[in-house]
Amino acid sequence: MLKVNNISTYYGKVQALHNVSFEIKDEEIVSIIGANGAGKSTLMRSIMGLVQPKEGEIVFKDEEITNLKTNKIVERGIVYVPEGREVFPALSVEDNLEMGAFSKKYSQRILSNKIEEMYDIFPRLKERKKQLAGTLSGGEQQMLAIARGLMSSPELIMFDEPSLGLAPVIVDDMFEVIVSINRQQHIPIVLVEQNAFEALRISSRCYVLENGEVRMHGLSDELMKSPEVKSAYLGG
Amino acid sequence: MSIVRVTKEVVFLYKIILQLLVSGIAMGFVYGLVGIEYTLIWNSTGLLNFSHERIIMLGAYIFAGSFVLQTGLSVLPAIVATIIAIIFFAVFVAYTIFIPLRNMSALCAIMSTVMLGNIINESVRLYYGPEAITVKGFLTGMIRIGTLVVARAYVVIIFVALIILALLLLFMMKTKTGKAMRCVAQNKNASSLMGIDVQKNMMITIAISFSICSIIGLLVIPLYSVKQSMASMISLKGFAAGVIGGFGSLPGAIVGGLFIGIIENIAGMIFPSTFKDVVAFVCLILMLLLRPSGILGKKRIS
Ligand SMILES: Nc1ncnc2c1ncn2[C@@H]1O[C@H](COP(=O)(O)OP(=O)(O)OP(=O)(O)O)[C@@H](O)[C@H]1O
Ligand SMILES: [Mg+2]
Repeated sequence: MLKVNNISTYYGKVQALHNVSFEIKDEEIVSIIGANGAGKSTLMRSIMGLVQPKEGEIVFKDEEITNLKTNKIVERGIVYVPEGREVFPALSVEDNLEMGAFSKKYSQRILSNKIEEMYDIFPRLKERKKQLAGTLSGGEQQMLAIARGLMSSPELIMFDEPSLGLAPVIVDDMFEVIVSINRQQHIPIVLVEQNAFEALRISSRCYVLENGEVRMHGLSDELMKSPEVKSAYLGG
Repeated sequence: MSIVRVTKEVVFLYKIILQLLVSGIAMGFVYGLVGIEYTLIWNSTGLLNFSHERIIMLGAYIFAGSFVLQTGLSVLPAIVATIIAIIFFAVFVAYTIFIPLRNMSALCAIMSTVMLGNIINESVRLYYGPEAITVKGFLTGMIRIGTLVVARAYVVIIFVALIILALLLLFMMKTKTGKAMRCVAQNKNASSLMGIDVQKNMMITIAISFSICSIIGLLVIPLYSVKQSMASMISLKGFAAGVIGGFGSLPGAIVGGLFIGIIENIAGMIFPSTFKDVVAFVCLILMLLLRPSGILGKKRIS
């Protein structure tokens, strides 16, 4: 589905990614773990064209998308739910959802159906549909960001630290939602997480990033048992 | 002293106040439109368009100099042609100056829009000549509303301003592009992740802003005639209107504009009329001291 071949990305003169390769296949959940500053978000941003990798190529459904503009990449069907939610604070919940479908030419009817679908997954959003997104709680904003991402019926969705700043109870719900999106809508998911245990638990494969390089990758079950991963990311 | 005479004086005073109110509201809308025109660009690109005074003036010159005098179009087609010409100009300037500029230092960006203004100013002088142009009969004369007699220009200004505001509101709240414009103003990163072409959206915003500039230029022709300095006062007061109303807020710009327009006209009754222009700027400084966030300004949700 998506293949990243040996990309290197720079911020000015600082190199943030070194020769990173990464792949996700149909219907997979792949997780990416790593410490702060390891380059996880930079990898996502490189895929989305928010930063341009200097070397390497990115291929989506057998077509190269390396130097496309972000909006074109979104039109191809990749959605990125960024770190820190980034909802539109001065737009209502419902308008935020509507903007999630910007890349699609939905009729009014399909649009409302789609929004109702989101309200079924997140009933909390329905109660607050007229409320400005900036006044939602952190957890509600995260729900909104996820729902907004689903609005365009993406072919691939990438979540960047969806559990950040959420209460433990809500974190569990969040992962459950992510798994059900994958199972029910058959959307492949890239999951960037600090919460390595949960990430490994729900993903089939995992990449470990360190200092902008892929340190390890493999089946999540196996990585879970690896002494290196255990000591560095699972707290012993 | 007869009661009749007193009543007559009261009625006379009342009429004067009404007239001042009408001209105050009209000028208020002019300042408000200026406030809106630069706020649109500020919200979208983060740039202060210091060339807006020249764009207002350019609109008036294209209309009067090129389309009415040279081409001999009648008023309505000339207005349409002017707006189209300005939109082409806006698209060009957007892609060559405004969009590349927004990632540069603030100082660099400010200087460039100031320079753009100077280029327009000099080009206009070279092309149209230094003399003022008048458009005979354009928005001149008086209109009688009941017992009130007011300049036709003021009535047209109020009417056109209301139409522009209504259209802008509809556009921004109801259309996909308009909603995208609000998104771009709030978060560019997230906007592009929705699939919005942020640069194109900025270009559209700049085109709308420049169109409003050109319409302002047309509306004030009967007040200042077509000359290079025609927009200097209104662009400055329009800027003040935006600050007084709450920087970055579109409704704020209108409220601020009306506030200045009405105050300065009423003040003109009390102080000598030469003090009129001072009033707007005294208001601005008082506002900055007392309520820096402006009338409608609030801490922006981030
Ligand atoms: N806009 C930027 N300009 C300069 N350097 C940046 C920029 N964004 C990120 N970096 C640097 O690139 C490196 C990788 O950052 P990145 O955000 O990808 O890390 P991350 O793995 O997502 O970390 P976190 O878990 O904290 O989100 C860091 O050293 C960071 O300081
Ligand atoms: Mg990150």
